[in-house]
Amino acid sequence: MTQSLTHESIRAAGRYDRLSLTGVEPRVLQALFRFMLRLRLCEEALVREYHPADEMKCPVHFCIGQEAVPAGLAPHLRREDYLYSHHRTHGYFFAKGAPMRALFAELHGRETGANGGKAGSQDISMTSHHMYGGAILAGAISIAVGTAVAAQLRKADYIAVSGFGDAATEEGAFWEAISYAVLRKLPLVFICENNGYSVYSHQLKRQPADNISARVAAFGMRTVTIFGNDAVECYRVLGDAVARARRGEGPTFIEAYTYRWSAHVGPENDDWIGYRADSERDFWKENDPIVLLEEKLRAASLLSDAQRRDTEKEIQLEIADAFSFAKSSPFPRLTDWTSMNLSAATPMADRLLSDLEAGDFDHDQPDLIPGPY
Amino acid sequence: MAEPQTPAAPVAAQTLARRQLTYAQAINEALAQAMELSSDVFVMGQLVDYRSGVFGTTSGLAEKFGPDRVRDFPVAESLMTSAAIGAAASGMRPVIVHTRLDFMMYSMDAIVNWLALWRFKSDGHAGLPVTIRAIVGKGWGQGPQHSKSPHAWFAHLPGLRVAVPATAYDAKGLLLESIFSEDPSIIIESRSLFSMVDAVPEAPYRVRFGRATVRRRGQDVTLATLGSMVPITLRAAQRLAGEGIEVEVIDLRTVSPIDMESICDSVRRTGRLVVADPAWHSVGVAAEVIAGVVERMGSTLRANPARVTFPDSHTPMSASLEAQFYPDEEQMCAAVRAVLRS
Repeated sequence: MTQSLTHESIRAAGRYDRLSLTGVEPRVLQALFRFMLRLRLCEEALVREYHPADEMKCPVHFCIGQEAVPAGLAPHLRREDYLYSHHRTHGYFFAKGAPMRALFAELHGRETGANGGKAGSQDISMTSHHMYGGAILAGAISIAVGTAVAAQLRKADYIAVSGFGDAATEEGAFWEAISYAVLRKLPLVFICENNGYSVYSHQLKRQPADNISARVAAFGMRTVTIFGNDAVECYRVLGDAVARARRGEGPTFIEAYTYRWSAHVGPENDDWIGYRADSERDFWKENDPIVLLEEKLRAASLLSDAQRRDTEKEIQLEIADAFSFAKSSPFPRLTDWTSMNLSAATPMADRLLSDLEAGDFDHDQPDLIPGPY
Repeated sequence: MAEPQTPAAPVAAQTLARRQLTYAQAINEALAQAMELSSDVFVMGQLVDYRSGVFGTTSGLAEKFGPDRVRDFPVAESLMTSAAIGAAASGMRPVIVHTRLDFMMYSMDAIVNWLALWRFKSDGHAGLPVTIRAIVGKGWGQGPQHSKSPHAWFAHLPGLRVAVPATAYDAKGLLLESIFSEDPSIIIESRSLFSMVDAVPEAPYRVRFGRATVRRRGQDVTLATLGSMVPITLRAAQRLAGEGIEVEVIDLRTVSPIDMESICDSVRRTGRLVVADPAWHSVGVAAEVIAGVVERMGSTLRANPARVTFPDSHTPMSASLEAQFYPDEEQMCAAVRAVLRS
């Protein structure tokens, strides 16, 4: 919970040994573990399937290594809350309780996909679950601000959550969002998963310092910096931020240091480009969020070999089902392009507005010459 | 921008059957009625809650509906537009106001990458009833950063509707239609129209997108026009009538969609087409209208079509150049005479 965390300080501290189960109910801890394992196995299965099958013809940004933040967020969200996600969407999709079948079918471009096959992985959304992904970074952060404005206007108790990466904070719209969220004390949680890279570009090539929270704090925002592979800490900190937002105590910015094992995009390894050191990747693999929690759960007798095996078996069945659902679903049929983009129905206008004859516009009037303003 | 010099005139609650309102008053009335009709409607924009009320179009609304629903927004146009998206995604019907359209350029990501494709991307599960009012300056040296009208850009994007109302009647009806429809709309309002009056019914009514209106009947030439060009066109048509030339003036009202059917109906009778578009000459709505007519009935035209537009240049400040930048009645008349001669 220190503001002085950086990627460098995290590595200098060696293997993380501060994961604590204290104060968190066993069923929650087990749920955190199961969430991460499900997400990991799901991503690994998609990676394995991607190329031999070549049926997922869309860019997929896998989130292997970054499972702890969405796991820690999921238990705190209600159906009516809104979640806006960066392009590495799968963890957030699950955090909002959206079904694996809808995800897999979307990746396969099928009619039964979350977006009927129109969006794919990076743009996936599920309106019924109030989950929205998008690939143009800070745009989604400021959209979350509007949802929070609406919640405040309506005096509703739902909140908005925005998940994004370190690079999104380089876009100006991000700072507009931070400033306004503080000004209006919006019911909003900002989660920055700082994984240190924008595609291949290291954060310190792009930003003067890697602790984004310090800059955000200058706006008067409450900020918390955490080791983002500690799922229990993510759970605690996110829970506090969500509760504050719900109580009307305003927004929180959480910077969670983490690391992507996957390539930036696609199932292949992109380490041949040479943008990151093997030792750096190895360090983060030694701090696998799943293993860190699993060790503690086993030590506390909250996870046995048999439980682990059963959980994994259950998840693999779900994955197999999701694949077979996706592959057996029909491809979308083209109806017409206009109705895909605009609604012909206007029920509210029909109800509230009348059709009238236009008046006679006087053809002989002068234009306005406006003056200085 | 300086503070306005004159206070806005209040909306007169006249009981006359053919009540006259200015363009600005009609917009103001539409906003007030929309906010009364639905608590989901709110207004965001710079200075919207001051008495001056963005040229009178928002005056009195903050007093009536409070500063949260009539929300003075920071100079963060990108955020404002995205915030409208986020509010609409959760069921609101926001109206955002740009005192000068030029500031709206900061919000292009929000409009192009999110707003326009929300319905498409959601597979039809969600639409965004966001209305963007953008005011285009004209005259008194507004210059190159206070006078752009890129309605053609926005009309090029799928998933958006774009209106360029010319009269107070249309300004009210199109604004209400936008607010209570299910998709995003951009309404481009020319400042030069704000004091012009029209008969405006008090009841909340709609003007539908994609329906042009015939402002003047004539059999010699079809003059399709929109926005700030409409009054100029009508005055030119009056002058031409004195020369025995009868011009049929069609006001497009919306440029996305464009009512090609009404234009073609008219051209079928006149055989001649002039398009007057308050925008740059090349690759614009005027070209689109001509292309649409030629595709459908090019071989029946009795003369080559013509465009009356701004030059392909930024707007000069100096009054002497400004007068040459904006086409006037005489240029409009000359274009019509030339088409009739050919």
